[in-house]
This record gives sequence, structure tokens and C-alpha cells, in this order.
Amino acid sequence: MKHRGRGLAAIEYPTGMNQGGDPSQAWVKIKPDGRVDVFAGTVDLGQGSKTVHTQIVADTLGVPYETVNMDVSNTDSSPLCTGTFASRGTFIGGLAVLKAAKKAKEKMLEIAGQAMEIAPADLDVEDGVVFVKGSPDKKMTVGEVSAAATWGFGELITGTGAHLKAYSMPDPDTGVCDPDHAISYAACVVDVEVDDETGTVTVLSMVQAYDVGHAINPTLVEGQIEGGAMMGLGLGLLEASYPHYPSTEGRGGEFGAYLMPGLPDFPEITSVIVENPSADGPFGAKAIGEMANNAQGPAICAAIHDAVGVWVPQQPATPERVLRALHAKATGAGEPRRDGKTVIFDEDVSVMTLADESSVFRDVIGV
Amino acid sequence: MHLVVNGVEEEIRSDALTSLLRVLREELHITSPKAGCEQGGCGACTVLVDGEPRRACLTPLAAVEGSEITTLEGLSDGVNLAPIQQAFYDKYASQCGFCSPGMMMASTALLTSTPGASREQIMEALEGHICRCTGYVKIIDAVESVANGSAGAASNGAVAQGGSR
Amino acid sequence: MKAVGARLPRYDGLAHVTGRTQYVADWSAPGMLACKGLRSPHHSARIVSIDTSRAEAHPGVRGVVTCKDIPKNVVGHLEALGVPADEPYFADGEVRYKGQLIAGVAAIDEATATAALDLIDVVYEERTPFLDIRKAFDPDAPKITEKGNVFFYDPYDHRKVTKGDVDAAFEKADVIVKGSYRPSAIEQAPIEPQGCLVVPESDGRLTVYTCTQAMYFTMGVLAEHLQRTPGSLKLVGGTVGGGFGGKVDSASEPCAALLALKTRKPVRWIFTREEEMLCGSVRASWHVEMADAISKDGWLLGRKVLTLHDAGAYTRFSSYGATKHSFHLAGAYTVPALRTRAYVVWSNHVPTTAMRGFGVTSASFAIEMQMTRGAHVLGMDPWEYRLKNANRPGDLMPTRKVLEDPSTIDTIQACAKAVGHPLSATYAEMKNEGRSGEWLPDHLRDQAADAKLGDPQGAAR
Repeated sequence: MKHRGRGLAAIEYPTGMNQGGDPSQAWVKIKPDGRVDVFAGTVDLGQGSKTVHTQIVADTLGVPYETVNMDVSNTDSSPLCTGTFASRGTFIGGLAVLKAAKKAKEKMLEIAGQAMEIAPADLDVEDGVVFVKGSPDKKMTVGEVSAAATWGFGELITGTGAHLKAYSMPDPDTGVCDPDHAISYAACVVDVEVDDETGTVTVLSMVQAYDVGHAINPTLVEGQIEGGAMMGLGLGLLEASYPHYPSTEGRGGEFGAYLMPGLPDFPEITSVIVENPSADGPFGAKAIGEMANNAQGPAICAAIHDAVGVWVPQQPATPERVLRALHAKATGAGEPRRDGKTVIFDEDVSVMTLADESSVFRDVIGV
Repeated sequence: MHLVVNGVEEEIRSDALTSLLRVLREELHITSPKAGCEQGGCGACTVLVDGEPRRACLTPLAAVEGSEITTLEGLSDGVNLAPIQQAFYDKYASQCGFCSPGMMMASTALLTSTPGASREQIMEALEGHICRCTGYVKIIDAVESVANGSAGAASNGAVAQGGSR
Repeated sequence: MKAVGARLPRYDGLAHVTGRTQYVADWSAPGMLACKGLRSPHHSARIVSIDTSRAEAHPGVRGVVTCKDIPKNVVGHLEALGVPADEPYFADGEVRYKGQLIAGVAAIDEATATAALDLIDVVYEERTPFLDIRKAFDPDAPKITEKGNVFFYDPYDHRKVTKGDVDAAFEKADVIVKGSYRPSAIEQAPIEPQGCLVVPESDGRLTVYTCTQAMYFTMGVLAEHLQRTPGSLKLVGGTVGGGFGGKVDSASEPCAALLALKTRKPVRWIFTREEEMLCGSVRASWHVEMADAISKDGWLLGRKVLTLHDAGAYTRFSSYGATKHSFHLAGAYTVPALRTRAYVVWSNHVPTTAMRGFGVTSASFAIEMQMTRGAHVLGMDPWEYRLKNANRPGDLMPTRKVLEDPSTIDTIQACAKAVGHPLSATYAEMKNEGRSGEWLPDHLRDQAADAKLGDPQGAAR
């Protein structure tokens, strides 16, 4: 028989490498025709950092998106970026390109000021045009400014930027530390159908809300939510490098032996973007990349319990594990042990039951 | 051995048992078909053989001697994007882009044989393709937009000034 | 027109849809050699001898390298951050995991390189592997290192977070809920396998075409292994077919670079999918035991956590991951009293590394299972139990970092609205604001003071 259930999970995730100490750098130059070249080090794995950084530069400099080249291709021309992980690409990588663009804008206005004989403070840039604030008909294109720099003043319009959060060592006793920038949040609701004869769990729908501070490119944010949804489904139901952990038996060396989430598993996916801006991210942005696959697994397990009344405190919740839990429930063996006010689940796998030297752990987790 | 690849007659020097994938990539330097697993498990190597989608990694050269092979490079006329390419672009159906050529070729085969394919038919046709990045949502949306005619018209290939580096 | 906030097309969109995007395996160089790696068939063994002479003599083989050829074999990924280096790039004297790299071969094509692997003669003395990290302190368990199986977080053998008075919280609680959570090791499994092409240039530099997620990071690690200046390396990449944490370990570059230097030819090594799955690093398996102290009206008063993290055979980024995990063991909720201890345990599994969510994925799984179970035991709506304990502006994280813009409330309310889940008025109308009134119970009144409290049991544990 099939049973339906719903489960919720709410999570949070930090921005930047834990404990900091992970710089990103960038530099910007403007060609004589006004095209902008950005050299940054953030590797694009598909998440869209090239796109997002280009958008940040375009708005910071005041030029059209289409006139910006983003080059992350090699370490001779690009300065350092610690790497694409730890959800640092938009935030830290983004701040580096933003700061570089800001410096280039200052230089550009300085040159424009000389060319137009106006104080730079009275100038601004928008859509590739430098104009006098309050008198927008007094203007030069960015191309004209750069040409003036190149052929008139003997200057190069450029800017460099970098962002670094100082490395913070945690107190070894308390864990006191300043390890990260903004914190992102998300919630995920999963509806499942559980077949109590086969143990198969089908995810019918996933509704997810992510606070990304400010969505620099909302479609790319959706891409992360959707990609994370399926990866989270995989973690929750399908994937295991060691199917019989801790044994090494049965490892899959190919797709099909290692089960990947695919179209046969595809639920209805609904994405909601929440914007609770960060204090110091670029344009108020936070992050999303890493956290995108964290909420689905526990939401699925909550939904399984809602559907058939069993707990599967493992990932993945394979049909075998669901059936074993159903069998235990049917024989009365699935209930937690109650000891006064304490409710103890999962004793069969606990270190308190298994580890010979459990006294070391008893101090930590004895209840 | 010889093949017709994207309309061009090619004399192939590779061994008869070389996979079509390796012939394309290593002898002909046609790199859009990807080696995601070379076990037939991911679909990233999918090309059309006489219009039919095939896993190039599992197809020995000898099995397709004389056939017409179409890869992603052959879909566009060099100036305009094919509708499926325009749809993938417009719908953001690519993130890392690695699975995209295989997805587009399989979709092309489906849309040729079943022009008004339903969402269910699209999902079934792409069942054997794995994408790790997108969660499939925008891929299905893109193919569906071509199938139901809601996709934008194929436009001049210079739709974006950016490019890969 | 503003770019930020707009649904602008992907910068690389045109390249992706025309198949022109260049990934690492799409690069080639004239005279390029193919590299393959010889890998351990055993989970744990002493290496008695390695003889590469038959492989070197095989027609079509241009070079073979082992631990004796690499200028610096042991380089720690996080050495600069004080994490001791413990992993040899090529196995030296022992193997600690099935799939560990022992030798590299460069040959005229992949088939020749693969055939040559069978001609490398390695004599092993098998040992019993250590696989169950719950037995980390078991005196009879096989030892991964001379000092045992547990990473040393100077001055303790675990990462600690101690906040507030956990014993008082558990004393005061009306209900204690405890569970044991075991999320699995998984593959990053991007569709593009990892690898590189290393080209020796005429000016003596090496150009390294790579799909690393971190160009300068790989540059640094590679420079150390080769004992060359980072400036003598040029890394080309920045465009990757998915990573998810699996392309950070710089697994292929040192071997390919060594062979490129030895043969003075370009050398390409792209992992097979089987290599990716069975030998490439994975997300760690975790064992997280969590006990929550809850009041009968649904306040989460305190939490104890024991975490065991399976680092696999070598540390890599595990000490970092378990620290990050520890800092997020309150989750999206404000838990005033915490005692958490995370142990990084080596085993004879494949070394574990970064994977999307690193460290926090396992924390989120345990926490959210506990929140669902806690609500169930209390008989409370699981949405409202979460909202009641949600982070609010001004609350402290486990590290005592002050939260400026938490969104537990906003995101849960958004989901409730999207699925039509009925919340009682109190929770439907709850505002994401700093604590006051009914949202400022006595036990949360002095969070700032809690920050000053150390471990009430003293420094011993």
C-alpha cells in the first residue's frame, strides 16, 4: 500500500572558507575603445561566477553588461582566488571584482574630469556614459574617456581589488571564533509517497525557500536551488559510496551501480527566493552554492515518518532500510527506549552500545 | 574506413574497434561529444548516427562505417543557432555545460521523430542522461519550449558578446 | 539598465550551447603522452618492494615514476594553516586505502600505458584494515598511524564547542531526545572526470591545463611537490564541468607534471569514471550522536553532540570540515547551551574531502532529524517547534558570532505559504526581529553572558 507524507527541514550555511584567511583578488582595465577586461581567479564550475561577476562589474563601473570581458583562464593574467568552494564565489570573489571596478571607476572619473574640465565628484557613469550630475547632456562615452586616457593623457584606466577576512583561530575549549561572513538560510518541504511493501520512497514535490541576501542573477539562483534539490534527493534516497558501510563491499564503479538522481526520480520543484540582505556582501548578496543539497535528506526522512511512522536516521533511506524499519515497527521493536524523561532512539548503532572504549564517549553523550 | 561527419566526408585512420567517441574527439578533433564515463552510463557522448541517438562511447567505428554522423557542431549553420540551442541558451538549460551536447543531440532526435513531444515523452527520451548541475528543470523546460512552439526564434549566433576563454 | 538583479543570459551560454566551451580534456598538444596510474588493490598493506623495470622496458612506454622520483612526496593541503602534512602523493612503504596511487606511467597511448601498469611488480604484505570509526579508541583496533587513529586538534584530540551550562539545561529539561545519525559517504560525481594536461614549455616553465576548482591552491601544492617556484607554473583552466568539491585535491597534476618533466613531452591524465568513483576522494561518512534538552513548552534548552568523522586514510581537509561542522551544530536555531565534541578518525577507507555542504550537511541532517523527533515526542507541530526556537537578529551562534540577518523565520513562513501549511496565529504573524516579550524567555536572557562561560568541567574534556 502507498502512503503519503510531508516533511520539513530548515537549515543555515556560512559564506566563505571556515575561519577565513581565504583571499580573492581581481583587476580591471579598460581598452581604448571602452571595452572592459576583468581578470579574476574565481573558477566557474557551472554555478555562473563568470556571469555574476560580470554583472557586478557592469553596475559598479556603470557600463553595459555586454561590454565586459571576464577572464579567469590562467594564473599568469589572473591574480589569486583561493578557490571555488565554501560558497565564497559570489561573496568574496564578488567583493574583489567590485572593489577593482570601483577603483577603475575612480580612475575613469579622474580622467573624464580632466577631459571635461569638471571635478570628478560632479561626474557619474551609467550605461557606458560619463555625465555631469544634474546636466546629463554634458557627457562623454566610456570609450571616449578611455581614448582620451590612451592618446591624450598617457594613462591606463585600471583598478585592482581584493577581499580577505582575517584568519580566526577558535578557542580550543569554547569554540569562540569569527569564522565567516554572512549566513544564508533555507527551508525545504518535501512530499513523498512510501510503498510499504517495497520500501520505495517516491518524492512527489519539493518546495524550497532560500534566503540569498540579494539575488544578483535570480535565474542562476534558481539553477542552484533546482540542482541542489536533485542532488539532495540523491543524498537522501539513492547515493552511497559504501552501500554496506563500514564494509567496503558493493562499491559502484559506474553510473547505474552508483545510483544518481535522474529524470525517473524527478519531482515537482518549486523555488522561492527570499532576500534578507547581508550587511557587507556585494549588493547585499549572501550565498547558496554549498547549502543547496543539505535540507532535502532530513526533510525526506521527516516525510517518511509522516507517511508510515518509521524513522530512518541514515542517508540514503534505501528501500531496504525503510522495510527494516517497517518490520521493526510491526514487531514492536522500533520504539525508542524511554528512561525517565529521556527518549533514546537508534541504540543499536550508538557508540554507547558498540564501542569498547565507550567511557571516552560516555562523558560526551551519556544521557 | 570512412564516415560522413556533419556533412563532411572523412577518411578515418583509427582502428576498427576504436569507439566513435574517440574517433570524433581524438582523430577529428570534434570535441562537443564528451567522455563522461565511457561506460554508456551518462549520455554525454550522445551523437546522431543516421539521425538516431547513439552512445558514441559504446559504438565501435566498424559498426558505423559509412554512416552519417551528426554532432552538436553540425546543428548550427555557423551563423544561426538551431532551435534547441537557442532554447538551451534562453532557458539557462546549461550550467557547467558538460552534459549539454548529449542532451541537445538526444532532444534533436526526439523532436525530429516526435515534433510535438509532450513533457512525459521528453522526460522518457532523456531518462538515460545524467545532469549533476541543473536538477533537470530548465533542460526539460527548454526542450518543451521547442516541442510546443513557445521557444524564441533562432537568432543570429552573436546573441552574447561573451565567450568561453 | 541595471545588471545586478536582472535575469541576464549566462556569460558562457553561447559557448555551452554551441559545444565550443573548452574543458580540460578538450586541450591537446603535439606529441602528447597518455598517463595512467597504478593503484593499490589492498585496503591496508606494507609495500615490500616495487620494481618498475619491466614497465619501463615495454615498447611505447616513455617514463615511469614512483615515490623515489618526486622531489617532495608529502605535502599537506592545509599545512599553511597548521594542519600537519600526512599524505604521500605516491605510496611509500605502505598503502592505506584501496585505490591509493603507487606509480604513474606515460606512454604513447592509453592502451599502452594501461598494459604497462600490469608490468609494475609490487610485493605487498596485507594487513587487517580499520573500518569502523566507532572503535577509534579500541585498543585492539588496527592503527592507521603510530599514534593511533584520531587526529590531534592541539591541545585535544577533538574539536570542542562549549557554550553555556549544558548540565543545568539537561537537569532542567522536561524531555531529552537522543538519536544517532549516520549519513553516507557519497561521490561528488560531476559529469566531467578530473584530470590535467601538463606541457613543458621552451622557457622551462610548465603549463598545466587543469579542471581544478582552485587554480592558485593547486599551483601551490604542485610547486611544493615539484620543489619549483609557483611562478614557474602556469595554470590554465577556470572552466570546469562540475566540481562539487571533488576537484580540489590536485590528484592528477603532480604525477602528470613529473612525467612531463621526465619525458620532456606533454602528458595528459584524465581519470576514468571507475577511478573517479573508486579511487577519487569522497564526502565523508559521519556518525553524529545528538541529545536535545527540551522544555515541555517546546524551548530547546541545550544540546550535546558526539561526532565521529571518517577521514579515510589521510587528513586532507577533514580537520577543517569537522571544525566547520562543529560551528553549525545549533542549526537554524538558537541553542544557549552546547557541548559538542568532534573527532576526526582515520580509517582504511578512501580519503575524504570537500563535498557540497562540507561538514554542515551532516550537521543539518542530524539537527533536522532531532527537530522532527523532538516535535513528535512533545506532540508539537514540527513547523512551530522550529519557529519557536528560530534564530533571531542579535542571537549568538555556537562560536558566539552575533547573527545580524538570520532568516529561519522568513524561509519557514515562505514555505508554509507556498504549501498552504496552516500555522497558528502566533507563528503565522511572527516577525523576524530581535528578542523581546514572549520570545525572550529567561534562559535566553543572558546570551552575551553565556559567551563568557567556558567549559564548566574545566579544560580536561
